[in-house]
Amino acid sequence: MAGESVRTLILCARQEMLLAARSRWTQLFAVVFAGLSLAVASSGYILSGGSGLQDFARTAASLVQLVLLLVPLTSLVMGVLALTPERGGAEILYAQPIARPILLLGTLIGLFEALVAAEALGFGVAGLVIFARTGSDGLAGFAMVAAGSAVLTAVFLAIAALVSVGQHGRKRVRALAIALVTWFALALLFDVAVLAAASLLRSGHASRLLISSVLVNPIDAVRTASLLAIEGTGAFGAGSLALLRFTGGPGGAALLIALSLSLWIVVPTWTAMRRLARMDIA
Amino acid sequence: MLAPVLFALFVAQGQGDMAVSASTTLEQRPAAARLSPLQPRVDAAAPGSVIDVAAGTYTGDLYIDRPVRLVGHGRPLLVGSGSGSVVLVRAADVVVEGFDIDGRAGGDLGRDSSGIHIAAPRAIIRDCRVRNSIFGIYLREANGSRVERCRIDGIPGKSPGEKGSGLHVWNTDGFELLHNEIVDVRDGIYIQSSPHGVVRGNVARDLRYGLHYMYSDDNTFEDNVFENGAAGTTLMYSRRITFRHNQFIHNRGFASVGLLFKNCDDIVAESNLIADNARGIFLEGSSRNVFRGNLIAASDIAIVLYDSTSDTRFTGNSFVGNLTPLSLSGRRTDTIFADNYWSGNESPDLDGDGRSDQPYRLSSLFDHLRGNLTAADLVSRSLAASAVAAAEQALPVLDPIPVVDASPRSHPPVLDVPTEWRNAEVRRAPIGLLASAALTLVGALPFAAGRRRRVVLSGAHA
Repeated sequence: MAGESVRTLILCARQEMLLAARSRWTQLFAVVFAGLSLAVASSGYILSGGSGLQDFARTAASLVQLVLLLVPLTSLVMGVLALTPERGGAEILYAQPIARPILLLGTLIGLFEALVAAEALGFGVAGLVIFARTGSDGLAGFAMVAAGSAVLTAVFLAIAALVSVGQHGRKRVRALAIALVTWFALALLFDVAVLAAASLLRSGHASRLLISSVLVNPIDAVRTASLLAIEGTGAFGAGSLALLRFTGGPGGAALLIALSLSLWIVVPTWTAMRRLARMDIA
Repeated sequence: MLAPVLFALFVAQGQGDMAVSASTTLEQRPAAARLSPLQPRVDAAAPGSVIDVAAGTYTGDLYIDRPVRLVGHGRPLLVGSGSGSVVLVRAADVVVEGFDIDGRAGGDLGRDSSGIHIAAPRAIIRDCRVRNSIFGIYLREANGSRVERCRIDGIPGKSPGEKGSGLHVWNTDGFELLHNEIVDVRDGIYIQSSPHGVVRGNVARDLRYGLHYMYSDDNTFEDNVFENGAAGTTLMYSRRITFRHNQFIHNRGFASVGLLFKNCDDIVAESNLIADNARGIFLEGSSRNVFRGNLIAASDIAIVLYDSTSDTRFTGNSFVGNLTPLSLSGRRTDTIFADNYWSGNESPDLDGDGRSDQPYRLSSLFDHLRGNLTAADLVSRSLAASAVAAAEQALPVLDPIPVVDASPRSHPPVLDVPTEWRNAEVRRAPIGLLASAALTLVGALPFAAGRRRRVVLSGAHA
């Protein structure tokens, strides 16, 4: 039974990946991401005057910003589009002799593969430009950014799943709107609100609030982890040290960030699967 | 005369991070067993005579107590006894040139053990190479001395705290440091209580402080390169210092500053390249300073300004590609910014007078916040930080402390800064290239597969 489910899951995933890879949207994303990565890689080099490792760190830091902006948005929109079938589509889809949670999970995995492939393409092209000019010292940092990008894809596909559950047919637009609001909230409003709150609190509480919020918000968590990995404690000046003191060193920080991101992937996916299984689809 | 020195000493002790030079007793003539085989020739030399030294290795310390000219031919190597300074200059008007000196990592910091230790006026050290020595060349009360075309390499593998300075100048009135190269020491050039000096054409790199400087007035720095210092350069408690055409670059340590002034007055810095530093210029408690025609580029923060700084002007500089133009600690500043170019300034110049039509704002609400709360740095590079800045421009009511360049240039000025931005060696990286190529292929695979195969199953995808 379990083996049967896994086979079904793999089949769903492969099907979805092929669909996504053939989708104009994914291809567009791949081209745009590769283009922007290439632009960042080339211009970062010019700006810093070509000075070796530091030049790499600046380029990678700019790549991080690109990832933080583009990947969550794309993952949410692509996820919602794929998971909210058109009118009548849901009824046909869920009439297949496949458990709905398996179908959902398979779709998510397939989408994840396609999007990560598009991102890999972008990173590969940018990497060719970067490493043709600088030493390979930055390879670990570069890999870290690529990994962060994959994790963000998973997080926001999971959120997309939660947003999309039951929102098929005419409710599709609503799901898309919720997804966009979610993106805006996590990418921007969250930090602004935290900053505002921090400016009102006393310094000790404000520090704790800022540091916790950076660990809780997935976009902040990936940004913090990537920039620390690339630039070391210089990334946020004294803020880095405040963070490391709060988390009990680099190991603690890595653990907390990994925990936060894992929860962001597992909890929404699991909730979405449960809700879909119990849902009455007419 | 004694009172200011004692006062300086007292303050210096309080600073903690200071050389203990002044409290040490002067190294005297080494014991006979430690002396160099060249010592009898020095002891027999008449004042003013030239001692020619042929190529070879001479082990032992050399004590010069009369005005002689010691000239090496074919780069003779002086290897120290390993218990103190290798060459001790104790008479005025001594010239040492053309030697390689190996300190054998001997002696200790407290005794100022150096490759060449000078405690007499008007010495000239020329074309010498010092390695493996705690201090490189030490000028102690050596008024009118000159060090030129020397190269100092520190003791490999020692931590900065256990090393001394490359060129150490203490309590010396009038000195010249010309065209020296200093690598891998604690402080490249250390100057304390030494006025009327000229420091020109030196390179200090891969160390802690490129320049560490205090209680020294009326000095001039030209055409030097201070590069890759864990702490950058720092100047304290001094007046009337001129910086022209120097490079302060790649100082990327956690607290590194390209050029730091604390309680320094009447500084003139012009046509310097201050690039790729964690912080470009740092000013605290300093007054009447002028920065003009400098290029400040690629720093995390271009200028860190404390409100204890007064009557300071930044004019005609070019600020390019810095993450933040200004970090102001305190409530307000009377520092004047005018006629500078800021690469972050996108305001147009419609009347074509070469100046943007609106003042350029250097301060932002966010920078104010992070100045008061360290942890705010964590979100300094987020979209939110940019949004706060944008909101502030749209809603001026949010502005806490306006610091502006009243007449920002719309185009970068042509500056007379050093152009030979030394590129780090570009090492081709096959691993990085291969990994990137592999990544590209792996990424392209699903898209290629998606094209070839016809999928029969109907899907949910639009």
